[in-house]
Order: sequence, then structure tokens, then C-alpha cells
Amino acid sequence: MDLSSLMFYLLAFMAVFFGYFTIAVANPIFSALNLALTMITLAGIFFLLDAYFIAGVQLAVYAGAVMVLFVMVLMLFDLSGEVRAFSRGLMSGIVKVGSALLVMLLILLSVLGYYGERLEIGAPPSTAEVVQPTTQDLAILLFSRYLFAFELLGLLLLVVAVGVVAVSRIKGGTHARD
Amino acid sequence: MGTDILEVSINFAKMVAIFLLMVQLVPLLVWVERRGSALIQNRLGPNRVGPLGLTQLLADAVKFLTKEEFVPAKSHRFLFYAAPVVALLPAAVAFNAIPLSHPIQVEAFEWLGREWGPYTFLFQGYEIGIGIVFVLGVSSLAAYALLLAGWGSDNKYSLLGALRASAQMISYELALGLSIVGILLIYNTFSFSEMVAQQTGPLTFMFFGQETSIGFLPNWGIFFQPLGAILLLAAVFAETNRLPFDLPEAEAELVAGYHTEYGGIKMNMFYIGEYGHMLVASALMVTFYFGGYHIPFITPEQINEFFVSQGQGLTQASLLTALVLHLSFFAKILVFLWIFVWVRWTLPRFRYDQLMNLGWKTMLPWALANTVITAIIVLMMRSSWS
Amino acid sequence: MPGIEHYLVLSAILFTLGMVGVMMRKNVIVILMSVELMLNAVNLSFVAFSHFNADIKGQVMVFFVMTVAAAEAGVGLALAVAVYKKFKELNIRFFEQLRG
Repeated sequence: MDLSSLMFYLLAFMAVFFGYFTIAVANPIFSALNLALTMITLAGIFFLLDAYFIAGVQLAVYAGAVMVLFVMVLMLFDLSGEVRAFSRGLMSGIVKVGSALLVMLLILLSVLGYYGERLEIGAPPSTAEVVQPTTQDLAILLFSRYLFAFELLGLLLLVVAVGVVAVSRIKGGTHARD
Repeated sequence: MGTDILEVSINFAKMVAIFLLMVQLVPLLVWVERRGSALIQNRLGPNRVGPLGLTQLLADAVKFLTKEEFVPAKSHRFLFYAAPVVALLPAAVAFNAIPLSHPIQVEAFEWLGREWGPYTFLFQGYEIGIGIVFVLGVSSLAAYALLLAGWGSDNKYSLLGALRASAQMISYELALGLSIVGILLIYNTFSFSEMVAQQTGPLTFMFFGQETSIGFLPNWGIFFQPLGAILLLAAVFAETNRLPFDLPEAEAELVAGYHTEYGGIKMNMFYIGEYGHMLVASALMVTFYFGGYHIPFITPEQINEFFVSQGQGLTQASLLTALVLHLSFFAKILVFLWIFVWVRWTLPRFRYDQLMNLGWKTMLPWALANTVITAIIVLMMRSSWS
Repeated sequence: MPGIEHYLVLSAILFTLGMVGVMMRKNVIVILMSVELMLNAVNLSFVAFSHFNADIKGQVMVFFVMTVAAAEAGVGLALAVAVYKKFKELNIRFFEQLRG
């Protein structure tokens, strides 16, 4: 076992561990902190996959901005009133977890079936001779072939910014009880 | 990491050494801060313990270590203890990614009865191709330390301080990121070492497709990006939560902000984190705008040749070159650290709305304008017009 | 270097965890976070495919997904804060009764 696979198994274990506690911890703040840790470990896995720029952006945008926002909002709320963290009902719970497990099973079967035929599981594909693309290629692709989508995203962000300001300044709203 | 056991262990030791370097600089900086503030305010400052009060740091350390271990009754114990550690990590990880000096070439030598091949040791913790994005990403994680401390210690002043701090950091990260884009466009790289390598010799640039050189100025980024440098300096003041942007710990309003409940060694770790951030910020300023570790007009090869002509072996010459350049880097860093101290004891604190206005309505538009104008000028200057 | 199926299995596990979170949790903000977890799992599979096919297009997709996720988090949090300020309520069942 070489260093990179050791790193991968360590990071994968940590990601699953923190991911599990994201949904299992009753206190939403601990949920958010666990999710932030999951994202940091995923950034580590992106580093292993030579996607350096994506890893850096994952750290800066997801772990550094989006999750900080979540934690901040949760800290602003008074959470002492929240007792039940999970939906009630044993049967519905079983159905929900069962359906999620079914989805995972389908994904796993398709992955293992497809790559079992093509790559012979266990033997990692040799990628040494393939030239890995660089950040520059990413930028060139982003600003040539996907320029329209990129501009559309800018528009989306603008709309979202305006919408968020409008929502947070709202006075009346639904069920106005005055 | 490396090919054989010696290289791997040296690379590992390097990371630890750079972390220790960062930690050890903190007492010195505290001394500079206290003596500097005394100088500015026309008093003496600590001068009793040792010459010029230098061993005051030792006395402080002993005092911090022997303080009572205090945990607020209703706090979240785990978060309360985790926060100071989290405060320490981002600065250390980010500082490791910045090149502190020229790489050291080690010739092949014989030791313990076997050959050890020629090595090249970089004078930094680890080289990451996208160093700048990495440093930005890691230092943005520093907000968690403040949030954990503020929420974990179950104190309204701590929580208010933490919320202010994280809002401030998120706001100024935008301006910080955008002010760097200009320098990225000019040097065409994300890597610190390549950026530093391009800043040697006299000021050289492309003027409408012709290479032009101005002999009496060093080839530093500040001459290409003066506005970017000023914006970056202002943004890192906000990122490090120092005066004039130290709203999170405004003592008149919030007692001591997010570290109200902390004392002793835990408090000290927050200090180390803050000074570590100052160190990273100064190193970034030097690397982007002031030629990194280079001495103006002298290339590392010339220094190396000088040492070789003095009768040193190649390995020793390379080592001495790296040390000389490292001293040059630290001289530059110390200037910026002094600016941090100087500004802290000169400017008054902003109000919170003034802070947000400055960040969103002044610095962000200027940084955007800087990016666009730099892009246009770079495009015009690189293409030949004949 | 582990093969691509390792990354895909990890991605599937994380996706399932996120899915269970969306269905089981009652706090709106936690549900939003579970959606983020699912998006991250998808990002992981994109990056893995991009690496093993030596094709950068997967990373472009990840870039887009990240932007959309950040926008979604912004809107979701703003809505949650607005509702909480008015009704002191973050339970997902409560959101069914909103109207007009």
C-alpha cells in the first residue's frame, strides 16, 4: 500500500465519519461543524486527485464562506426550544432509510457492474502516461466553450443577491398577524 | 515528499521547524509591540527584566503557563478547548506554503557508508502549485476559531464579538481575493516560487510589445500594482482583526470580544494565532509586491558565485546563499510587522457601519476596477502593435 | 493510487448520508446542509471521473455546481432567517402552512 492510497483511505474514513455525524447529531451547530470538517476532508481528496484549483476553491468557498454563514446563522438563533431533531414514526423512518439504502445499492451496483467489466476491480488504471490537465486548461475551457454558462451563473448570482436582500428586508409576509 | 529516507525526514523536519519559527517569533513581536507602543506614546514600556526588557517575554510565558485553568460553567467544554487550537492551525499551515528563501542544492555525498544522491531542498514547508488559492482557502478557515470561541464560552459579549468577526472576515475576503487578481494577471501564475523568480533584476516590462527596462528600480510587483498593494494591505488588517479594524474585541463595547472567557495558555494561543496571521499577511505582501526573498539588483546566482570564489564547496555556498536571502526576506517582513504595530497605535477604531461601508462600497469597487484595468492593460501591452 | 470505483463508492455513501438527512431531519437549516452534503458527493464523483479520464470538463462542472450551491445556501438561509424572525419556528412541517 503506497502513501496516496493510505491517505485516501484515511480521508475517506474521516469524510464518512464526519458525514454521518452531520446528520446524526441533534444540535444543528455541531451538525454544521461536522459538515465543515467533511468539506475540508473532501478538499484533501481533491488534492489527491490532482484537482488543486478545485480543492483550493472548495476550502475557500465551501468551508470558508458557505459553512461559516451556516454556523453564523445557527448561532444567531436561540435553539433551546428545539427538542425533536428527527421526524417521528418508526415505519416511515424505516421506509426513508430503506429507500436511501436502495439508492446507494443501485449506485454501487451500477458502478461495480460497469467498471467491473471495463477495468477489472482491484487493478488501478494506469494514469502515469496520461497528461493531467492544469488549472490553465480549466480557465481556457471556462472562458471559451462554457462562456455562456459562466455568464448565466453570474446572472444567477446577481438575481440571488437581489432576492436575498429583498427577502431579508421583508416586513409583512405570510400570516401577518398584526 | 521525497525519494529516500533522508530526504523525507528532512522535509518533515522542515515543516516542524517552520511552525516553531512562527511560534518563536511571537514573543519577539509582543516585545516589539510593547516597546513600539511605548515609543509612539512617549513612555518607556517594559524595561526592568533583562536588557531593554527583552527577557520580559520569558517572564510572560511563565506567567501564562501558571495561570489558573478556567472553564465557564455553562460552556461547551469541547468547543471551548478546541477553539484556541483551531486558531493556531490556519496560520501555521498557510505560512508553511510560502517560500522563505532560495532552494538549497546539496551535492552527492557519502555518509554512513552509502551514497546520498544530489538533493534540492526548498526553503518552505511544502510546495503547492496553486499556493495562492491554498493560502486564501486555509486562512479563510480562521473564522471558525472565533465562532467556536464565541459560541463555546456561553457569554453574550463573546458571541457578539464572534459574529462581528466572522461577518468582517467574510466581507473583507472578497476585497482581498480581488486585489490579488491583478498581480496574478501580471505574473501569469498561482505559484509563489514562480512569482518570486520573476521579480529579479531591474524593472522590466512589455511596452506595446517591446521589452522596456528602467535601470534604477528593482523589478518589484508594487510598481505594476500600487493600488492592489494598498487594497491588500488594508484587507489584511481587517482579516487579522487588528486595529483599526479590531471591532471583534472592541473593549469599550464588548469587554474583550470572543476571548473574554479565556485566560492563561489558551489566551496565549489566540495571541499566537493572531501574530501568525500577521506574519502570513506580511509574507504575502513581500512575496507579491516586494520581490520575495530577492535582494534588489543581485541575483541568487551572483551570491552563490561570490561564496564559491571565497573557497566554499558548492553545498556550503548554496546553504549560505539561502541563509543570506532568508535574512533579506525577514528584513522585509519585519518592516511590515512594524507597520502593523505602528498603525495599531496610531489610528483610532472604526465604527461597525464605517467598517462595512469601507469594505463593500469603497474597497470592493476599487478592487474590481483594478482587476478590469489591469486585464485591459496587460492585453494591450503584451500584443505587438507594429 | 486507488481505482476510480473507490472514489465512486465513497461518493455514493456520502450521497446516501445526505439523502437520509434530508428525509429524517426536521430543522430546515439541517436539511439545507444535507443537500450541501449530497452536492459535495456529486462533486467528488465529477472530480474522480475528470481525473481518471484525464478530461478537465468534469472540473468545469464542479465549478458550476459550487456556484449554484453557494447561491442556494444564500437564498435558503435568507428564507429561514425571515421565517424564524417572524414565527420563531424552523420545523419543516411549519413550512407547509405558509401561504400567500
